[in-house]
Amino acid sequence: MSFTTVAAARPYVGAPRRGPLTRLLEDERWLGGLLLLPTVVLLGLFIAYPFVKGVMLSVTDARVGVPGHFVGLQNFEEVWNDSIFRIAVWNTCVYTLVATAFKLALGLWLAVLLNRHFRGKAITRAFILLPFIVPTVLSTLAWKWMFDPTFSVINWILFHLDLIHSRINWLGEPNLALISVIIVNVWRGLPFYAITLLAGLQTISPELHEAAAIDGARAWQRFRHVTWPLLLPVTLVVTLFSVIQTFADFQLVYVLTGGGPANATQLFATYAYQIGIGTGLLSQGATISLAVFPVLLLVVIFQLFYIRRVETH
Amino acid sequence: MIEGATWRRWVFFYVPLTSFVVLLLFPFYWMVITTLRPDRELYRPWNSVNYNPFWTWHPTLSHIRDLLTQTLFTTWLMNTMIIALSATAISLFCGLLGGYALSRLQFRFAGLLGTAIFITYLVPQTLLFIPLADIIRNFHLGDSRWALILTYPTFLIPFCTWLMMGYFKSIPKELEECARIDGAARWKAMVYIIFPIAIPGILSAGIFAFTLSWNEFLYALVFLSSPGEKTVPVGVTSELIRGDVFYWGELMAGALLGSIPVAFVYSFFVEHYVASVTGSVKG
Amino acid sequence: MAGINRRRLLQLSGAGMVAAGSGGLAAILAASRAPAYAQATTVHWLRWSDFVPASDALLHNQIAPECEKALGIKLNIEMVNANDIQARVTSAVQSGAGPDVILALNNWPQLYTDSLVDVSDVAEKLGAEQGGYYPISKAVATVGDKWIGVPWCVGGGLVAYRKSWFAEIGYDKFPDTWDKLQAAGKTLKAKGRPFGQALSHSFGDPPGFWYPWLWSWGGKEVDTDGKTVALDSPETLQSVKAAVPFWNEACDSGGLAWDDSSNNRAFLSGSICATNNGASIYLEAKRKPDTYQTEKGTPMYLDIAHAPLPKGPGGQFNLPGPFTNMLMGYSKQQKAAKEVILWVNSKPIFEQWFTSQQGYTDGATRYWEKDAVWNKDPVLLPFRDIPIEGRLMGYAGPPGRASAEAQTKYIIVDMYAKAVQGTAPQDAVKWAQGELVKVYT
Repeated sequence: MSFTTVAAARPYVGAPRRGPLTRLLEDERWLGGLLLLPTVVLLGLFIAYPFVKGVMLSVTDARVGVPGHFVGLQNFEEVWNDSIFRIAVWNTCVYTLVATAFKLALGLWLAVLLNRHFRGKAITRAFILLPFIVPTVLSTLAWKWMFDPTFSVINWILFHLDLIHSRINWLGEPNLALISVIIVNVWRGLPFYAITLLAGLQTISPELHEAAAIDGARAWQRFRHVTWPLLLPVTLVVTLFSVIQTFADFQLVYVLTGGGPANATQLFATYAYQIGIGTGLLSQGATISLAVFPVLLLVVIFQLFYIRRVETH
Repeated sequence: MIEGATWRRWVFFYVPLTSFVVLLLFPFYWMVITTLRPDRELYRPWNSVNYNPFWTWHPTLSHIRDLLTQTLFTTWLMNTMIIALSATAISLFCGLLGGYALSRLQFRFAGLLGTAIFITYLVPQTLLFIPLADIIRNFHLGDSRWALILTYPTFLIPFCTWLMMGYFKSIPKELEECARIDGAARWKAMVYIIFPIAIPGILSAGIFAFTLSWNEFLYALVFLSSPGEKTVPVGVTSELIRGDVFYWGELMAGALLGSIPVAFVYSFFVEHYVASVTGSVKG
Repeated sequence: MAGINRRRLLQLSGAGMVAAGSGGLAAILAASRAPAYAQATTVHWLRWSDFVPASDALLHNQIAPECEKALGIKLNIEMVNANDIQARVTSAVQSGAGPDVILALNNWPQLYTDSLVDVSDVAEKLGAEQGGYYPISKAVATVGDKWIGVPWCVGGGLVAYRKSWFAEIGYDKFPDTWDKLQAAGKTLKAKGRPFGQALSHSFGDPPGFWYPWLWSWGGKEVDTDGKTVALDSPETLQSVKAAVPFWNEACDSGGLAWDDSSNNRAFLSGSICATNNGASIYLEAKRKPDTYQTEKGTPMYLDIAHAPLPKGPGGQFNLPGPFTNMLMGYSKQQKAAKEVILWVNSKPIFEQWFTSQQGYTDGATRYWEKDAVWNKDPVLLPFRDIPIEGRLMGYAGPPGRASAEAQTKYIIVDMYAKAVQGTAPQDAVKWAQGELVKVYT
């Protein structure tokens, strides 16, 4: 490793004297530990401990105010046999996959577009973040009204463009409801992808593009061979986090459809909340929340390996 | 980089960009119109004759006025601002240090810790908020901003850390080594050389952290109770949604006033995205 | 008390309770309005954001200060969206700290029985003074003979309808059977004025219609033993079969996506002819006569009347929404809270709040049937009789925890939603039966 060679080559002449504290900070292990200390403390206290409690909840039959007894994996078994739970898991998978695919594709496209110089660049880049900034609770209410069968502005537009002849019940038909929810999620998340990927694009030196252009590469080839590989690490990280967040999405669906019609948009987070809070069956709510944890873990581990592979190239 | 004919510029740049902007911001335009619409017009169905979703001939400021005078909106705005800024500062601090440690230092548990930090992100808030309420009470943080300032980083730090790791990894190791050859302490090399290079990443992570804090609902609902302590999402929905009557004009005003100022502020930071990086990273 | 000096005592006693400048302890003893508590006691009351904003304003601006004067207790009232109350209750109970008194809707007290204080003394006293509680109010607030909450009021729904539109097609009273309503609705729907009803995952309107629909055909969820699920029956099947043509011919199909406020908006915009709802539609129209007008330009509220849900072969029913004040077990101010509850439910104080409600809710005791508020507006008079004939979820068993779970999972509502969207009625009923069985075991 080049590090040791450099260290060995450090000249003795002119090297400052170092006190014990400084020596400690030089040591990678100590410095590493110190730098990670605030993170570990915060996360340990506010996630690890509650998480353990949450897991404990899921193996008891606790209700609100009633600690309950240990029941092993009984809750998991019950939840697995729950037809609504299975629908919720299916919906969540579809919702996450489709929304992420669109957010990634459209976000990348928008990032590439924003990477140019044009007038009003700063304002545009900041204002397209608005869907991401506005509190989900409020923007979802606005969308609710835009989709409302009686008042939908979208229906009005489509009607006046002669594309439809009677209204579309966006949130009332099961398939349409899921599509509507995905639309709102993509609308909300797209700016975030765009801005983060834009930052990634900005770190790619334009000289690389110029060099490739001189070698005769066209725009699309430049993208595929220069931009995309360099952008991949950031893309993977952003996608990974977004997938996790979308998987656990709660507020959007809760406000827009409440999981209806007839569970067509029920996600596992909304179902867990409904059961845990609405009926006081905390253990079941915790079980539902945790039931998909192993699946998520697998997805995550797989992607982490992939990221490592990409980086060592 | 689209060189060539003007038509190409239009097809490959202006049209797509404009479409994106229109589609993303159209709901906001609609919110603006709703805010300015008098109540009379708010209740016209879409197929009625004089329905005009895009304009109103009788704009009124009464909804905005009611929002500002009859609710504690300005207080909520300030609360949310303070909480979001503080939580962002903490998360960036932890993320920066942690990201550096995990990506550029070698120590035994680096991989494990990195993965562990990441896994905490998988735990959903809807599960955490109940045991968290207990901890908050133990520390006597209930009904105070600190409850949120300390709990928001739990879902912000993992992402900030990983994002910073990503940026740091793209910076060659030689930079620090050169600095250390020159006698700089390791931590000084970190602060004075590496961090400035990662500024686009820091800004990106900062924007992400601030926005998520701004937006958060569940913890704010559960940990705060006095009207004067509430944040914008919680305050607006509890005051303006009463049973089955929604005060649409005021709600949309709240949505706009609770987001446009933030976008304005962002527009200043976005300037710094300019690739000041490219110069200094040359090998 | 050794070691507490005069200044400290002044601090402890709080402003206003001790005359400034005069001796500490002596002043307290001599003061004619001696406070019941040496320290300023605060009772934290969590309520929903009332549909009637005037009532909330009244609570904050008048009743809370009056409470401080009369009892020496500071009343801290907090309002949140009804949807969010349960999240607050859950986290408060689990963490052992939170509001002292929480206003619960429907049969939520049954979900938290182990965490609530026995308030039989307060409830029985009030019940005796005020002519007795309605059976439905008592059912949700008691476990056996023990009162776990003090009923506050009862909200209910009736069908709000446009008089002129029904008169035009020959009905000068609202149709009183489902067949008649379906026929009328069919005619009106052809004119673009369907009946509007939510069939979605919203916690207020959908159960408020579809549970009475089930009952009016003779169906029920469980037997009187409270355990055996009896949903799968010929009556229930009939109710599901009848729901499909009713929905398709007479109802606004958008109802599958409606939340609790959608029918209000639809009605006020003139898109539907009638809907089952609380008094909020009428009161909103009355509040703004210029905003909500009929197609002829007259104020809409003059064209609105209320009627009970129509009769079916099995009878005529409604599902009221009882409100109960729960005193939380973790509260450190239980004594003070009981005093507050007793005081705020007392005739002179409750009267003020009740009047501000203008008839949107009923009292929980029969005393309030005779209140002057019912004479003010004949259009709202039908609301007075709701609690008397109401039934609760979980019929024919008690409205216990299992019935709350069934309602939260929207089992009954979804049974009709599935049928209306194409599932065969038998399959819908079988599905609902299966789900209910899981809930009740």
